[in-house]
Amino acid sequence: MIDNDKAVNKKVFSLVFLFSLLGCFFLSCSHSLHDEQLQFGIQAAQKDLWDEAIFRWKKAIRFHPNSAAAHNNLAVAYEKKGLLEEAKKEYETALRLSPENTRIKSNYQSFKEYYSSDKKEDEKEN
Amino acid sequence: MKKKINLAFLLVLVLHFSCASLNYWKVKVELPEVASLNLDQFKELVVSNFLVEKETKDFNLNQELVDFFSEELVQHFKGKIRRQEISWGEKDIFQKEDFWKTLLPGSEETLILTGSVNYSEEIRKAILEDYSRESEEYFPSEKGLAQRKFYTLNLSLYLIEAKTGEILYTREFKESRGYKNPKQTANFAFFDLMEKVRAKFFSNILGEERVEQRYLISD
Repeated sequence: MIDNDKAVNKKVFSLVFLFSLLGCFFLSCSHSLHDEQLQFGIQAAQKDLWDEAIFRWKKAIRFHPNSAAAHNNLAVAYEKKGLLEEAKKEYETALRLSPENTRIKSNYQSFKEYYSSDKKEDEKEN
Repeated sequence: MKKKINLAFLLVLVLHFSCASLNYWKVKVELPEVASLNLDQFKELVVSNFLVEKETKDFNLNQELVDFFSEELVQHFKGKIRRQEISWGEKDIFQKEDFWKTLLPGSEETLILTGSVNYSEEIRKAILEDYSRESEEYFPSEKGLAQRKFYTLNLSLYLIEAKTGEILYTREFKESRGYKNPKQTANFAFFDLMEKVRAKFFSNILGEERVEQRYLISD
């Protein structure tokens, strides 16, 4: 009886181990795909290919929706393209995911300062 | 067995922190700005004298401002540029459309550049520890009592349509800079501060691109 229990436990443990391993594999796989797209996007942006960078970072977000880095980078790209509402949304998402990240905070602060004067003028007009 | 578990746990922790280290790249991005007004629709630009709130010793602030804008605008405005002296009555004159309408009668396509200004200097002192702060450029790493001469320029600029008296553009600029040299002159600092105003003002009215720094990160 005890031997039977041991055998069942061993099977359960093996199954749990196998599923954990598979889970880790898929997780690490999606993370590596995400990292790959993230890096690709950075390289594209450094070569001033911002449309390509946007495509890559959007893809990175598909693999890893909670990537603060991808959301931050996408925000920078949107800023560059003059898509301010989209940039704001992405910065806010990035900050929500990583509120202590000083680089994201710095980007968002600069973004707000750069466009605040225009906004104030718009508000006055309205 | 316990030893093995501890080892595995340690390995996971090391892997986790090595993956969590953050890399970043500074990039210079040219950011587009929408032009606040179309200068091409005007044939003449009148640069008026400025409402100076407090005169600066040994420095003709108004004259320097008029010269600065007249010379800078020549490079961006295709029409005629001339100067016009205004006698200032009250402070809130910029909002009085009737005043501006009657200032240049018969001017159909004329734009007036005007504004008010306050330029001040002060000595700031601080006791410093020996540490460096990236963001504080005026008081870098040093020990003891530090003294800086600060100049602050508060400039309100208005672009007013002569025909209607309507304000087409207004912005307040507050620029400040500290100098280590206690003998720094108001004249020298003025041009430093006006450089900052120039970049923002022309970027606003012409919709020129501006270079800003941003961080791209990978986690």
